[in-house]
Amino acid sequence: MSSRSDEAARPLVSGRDLGFVAGGRHLVSRASLDLRAGETTILIGPNGAGKSTLLRLLTGEAKPTAGVVTLEGAALASIPPWRLACQRAVMAQQARLAFPFSVLEVARLGVDGVGRALPRARREALIGGCLLAAGVLDLAARPYQTLSGGEQQRVQFARALCQLEAGRSLATRQALFLDEPIANLDLSHQLALLDMARMIAARGAAVLIVLHDINLALTYADRLVVMDAGEIVAQGAPAATLDDALLRRVFDVDLGLGRPPPQNLPFLLPQQHRQAAATP
Amino acid sequence: MTQAALARPGPAAALTVIAAGRRRYAMLVILGLIALCLALIFLGVGVGAVSIPPGRVAGILLARLTGGDAALDGREALVVLNIRLPRVLLGLLVGAGLAVSGALMQGLFRNPLADPGLVGVSAGAGLAAAATIVLGDRLLGGAAARLPFAVLPFGAFCGGLISTLLLYLIATRRGRTSVATMLLAGVALGALAGALTGLLAFISDDRQLRDLTFWSLGSLGGASWTKLAAVAPIILPLLFALPLLARGLNGLMLGEAEAFHLGVPVQRIKALAIVLVALAVGASVAAAGVIGFVGIVVPHLIRLALGPDHRLLLPLSALGGATLLVAADIVARLVVSPAELPLGIVTAAMGAPFFLWLLLRRAHVVEI
Amino acid sequence: MPDRPELPFRKTARPDRREILAAVGLTLAAAAGFAGPGAIVGPVVAQKSDRIVALGGVVTEVLYALGLEDRIVGVDTTSQFPPEALRDKPGVGYVRALSVEGILSLRPSLVIAIEGAGPPDAIALLKEAGVRLVTIPEDLSEQGVAVRIAAIGAAAGASEPARRLAETVQAGFEELAALRARVVGKRRVLFALSLQNGRTMVGGANSTADAMIRLAGGVNAAAGVEGYKPMTDEAVIAAAPEVVLMMRNSSGHDATPEELFAMPAFSATPAAGARALVRMDGLYLLGFGPRAPLAARDLMAAFYPDAAIPALKTAAAP
Repeated sequence: MSSRSDEAARPLVSGRDLGFVAGGRHLVSRASLDLRAGETTILIGPNGAGKSTLLRLLTGEAKPTAGVVTLEGAALASIPPWRLACQRAVMAQQARLAFPFSVLEVARLGVDGVGRALPRARREALIGGCLLAAGVLDLAARPYQTLSGGEQQRVQFARALCQLEAGRSLATRQALFLDEPIANLDLSHQLALLDMARMIAARGAAVLIVLHDINLALTYADRLVVMDAGEIVAQGAPAATLDDALLRRVFDVDLGLGRPPPQNLPFLLPQQHRQAAATP
Repeated sequence: MTQAALARPGPAAALTVIAAGRRRYAMLVILGLIALCLALIFLGVGVGAVSIPPGRVAGILLARLTGGDAALDGREALVVLNIRLPRVLLGLLVGAGLAVSGALMQGLFRNPLADPGLVGVSAGAGLAAAATIVLGDRLLGGAAARLPFAVLPFGAFCGGLISTLLLYLIATRRGRTSVATMLLAGVALGALAGALTGLLAFISDDRQLRDLTFWSLGSLGGASWTKLAAVAPIILPLLFALPLLARGLNGLMLGEAEAFHLGVPVQRIKALAIVLVALAVGASVAAAGVIGFVGIVVPHLIRLALGPDHRLLLPLSALGGATLLVAADIVARLVVSPAELPLGIVTAAMGAPFFLWLLLRRAHVVEI
Repeated sequence: MPDRPELPFRKTARPDRREILAAVGLTLAAAAGFAGPGAIVGPVVAQKSDRIVALGGVVTEVLYALGLEDRIVGVDTTSQFPPEALRDKPGVGYVRALSVEGILSLRPSLVIAIEGAGPPDAIALLKEAGVRLVTIPEDLSEQGVAVRIAAIGAAAGASEPARRLAETVQAGFEELAALRARVVGKRRVLFALSLQNGRTMVGGANSTADAMIRLAGGVNAAAGVEGYKPMTDEAVIAAAPEVVLMMRNSSGHDATPEELFAMPAFSATPAAGARALVRMDGLYLLGFGPRAPLAARDLMAAFYPDAAIPALKTAAAP
């Protein structure tokens, strides 16, 4: 098992001094970040901090104007798309569909490319499992466009799971990128999706999630990364990374982090904000 | 949630039921379409202004195939072998090419209203054709008759390719082609080509104007083996490339970024599709003039029947387009025989009401 | 071609060139009036049993004028005169968008086509099918009419009647020239092809209308433009036509002089005062067939109503 731990120690995805300039604006600068197998990394930051851009750089969707992203030591730009697709799946923020695909067909898109070599029965089983895991199996025959925003988001999650599952037959070390995956979900589905993401990480994948909900980020992250104005301002274990000063500086809110007894996990109560606003 | 949850047989069974139902339906549609296409091919070779008994037609075809030449003399053999057969084959080729091009463009631009003309081929080909019709005599004079190829189709083909190339260059920055830019630039280029074509119409005499009108309505009337031999190597690559493009286009339905994440070589798919479509449409336009409607309606019909999966949509669009064009040509040949109607009139007159009927018949609004 | 061995259909595409050359040479000779009747023998290219497809209005008109209508088995859509041609004979479509199989279904032995009949592929296939094809050169001039009549007649095996018809036409033109010489104060004529949406399409220089106006002793008021072109209202006024010439519509929706001269462009022209609007059947006016001298004479009579232009003594049939 020593080799296994060696592997775990080496980062799967690694970004070094990443910078991205678009239209003369530095959307990301000097960002260095490692994603490790088995770890759930959660990226938080105010609107426009560059979270999604950083995610796009790490997935290879956008090429950094400075720095380099590597996957298992190889430069991302040198890896052909199909091989990349076996090793990482991405769920982007918004996914509109041009034509009336059914939920099943959307999920199948995740398998069609990566899992071409799999026998049909295995592929069907895999799609069914992923739809079930994302809680959308009952929607399988519905046209994707008739679904609510939350349902669509879960279908996209299922599609990303399908791709990861199909890719497992070709590459065991994988990464999953989720860009605000729970923005449209109700609370129970938010928790179910994040549970699922952690399970994927527990199975050995590196998971990166962009979140806005600081409580959920603190609850689910193995490692928390805070961005502001295109730069990574803090990263590390959640409890050690986020403190009142950082919150004030980055999110521009004057709130204290509570630390309740059970696990001594930090939490955030917006009620404080309203109280503070009420007292002059 | 256990590890096995991601791959267990239970849920798959439910999906298999859905998939099997669809597959059976798809199979029916495919077989029906193939049967219809074959029937129309035979009809296309069998009927025409010159009435030849079916037995004689079969005899001529058989004699041709077996190398027997006894039956190959005379006008009937000429009509069957040198007029109808190349015409039906050209119809199949052009119809398939146009319909597939339409389906590809709609997939690439993620816009159900896209048609093959969007890559600028039609505008460029139209302008070049107008230029050859109106200016050809003035510029080439008697030289035109001595050239080894017909000037009009060659000019149209080149014009189509040049305008596509121009659009592609405009829309490509640092190796990335923006389909949105291409769409907008295509509109602008189309307007420009339209203006220049109008200018040519202005300086043309009324005979040239009529030529222009007839050309813009399309016809398979000029079909010949030579033309077929010139067009087939240009359209067939598109049809053969469909398996390479289908999966990538499915991925593109989610967006370019998502397609890339799914492992689709997005830029290569775009470039390949655009080049093949430009070639195929350019060749179609050159061989048969402008035939509208096929490229937009056939893919829609297939989509209404079988859904938007390109692995079915593309080959069936080819089949459907081929079928529609051969059918339309049979009508075009027979309805005012011994004269014939321009093909574009027939495709639109036959296809549009059918399409409207399909839309009306549906219980709910079509989601696109 | 009785002397030629029967070849498989693929090889019979050639036989026409010699005939065309012969026909053209013959007709030039006929038009120039050099050869006496005995000298015109020419190849006997047509038999009584010939089935002729006529492509081009002038071809049909001449064949009818030569009394060969029974041999015509098909005509194109430009064969508007005589009117019974399109009524009685199967139509094979527009002369430049022909259907080969349609033509072949009429089992023709001879196709007489004006220059420019097409598409070229269709013509090639016709030749390949072993149909004799004779092309009549395009020539919209006084001499051209005679040349074309002679060529059509030669192709149809009616050289002698054709020569007589051509001579009649020629004589008609000469008579017309004499009448023209007597015209004093040539009037400015504007040919308005159409008045769609208030836009006036006129016949400029080098148009058939221009040629006819000049034959009829008028001056083309629109000679400043080339071919058939739309003209602005101001340009119409500046052209100052004394007579407006239009085609008579088959649909019967002709503009009346009142309507025409109420239009701003025309109300300010000299023609408006005299209500000088001349309307004539389109093919009669612009066909440049055997009736061209007659049409030009009628036009002249209409341009100069006070001059008492006499009818032509040499009137061509029909």
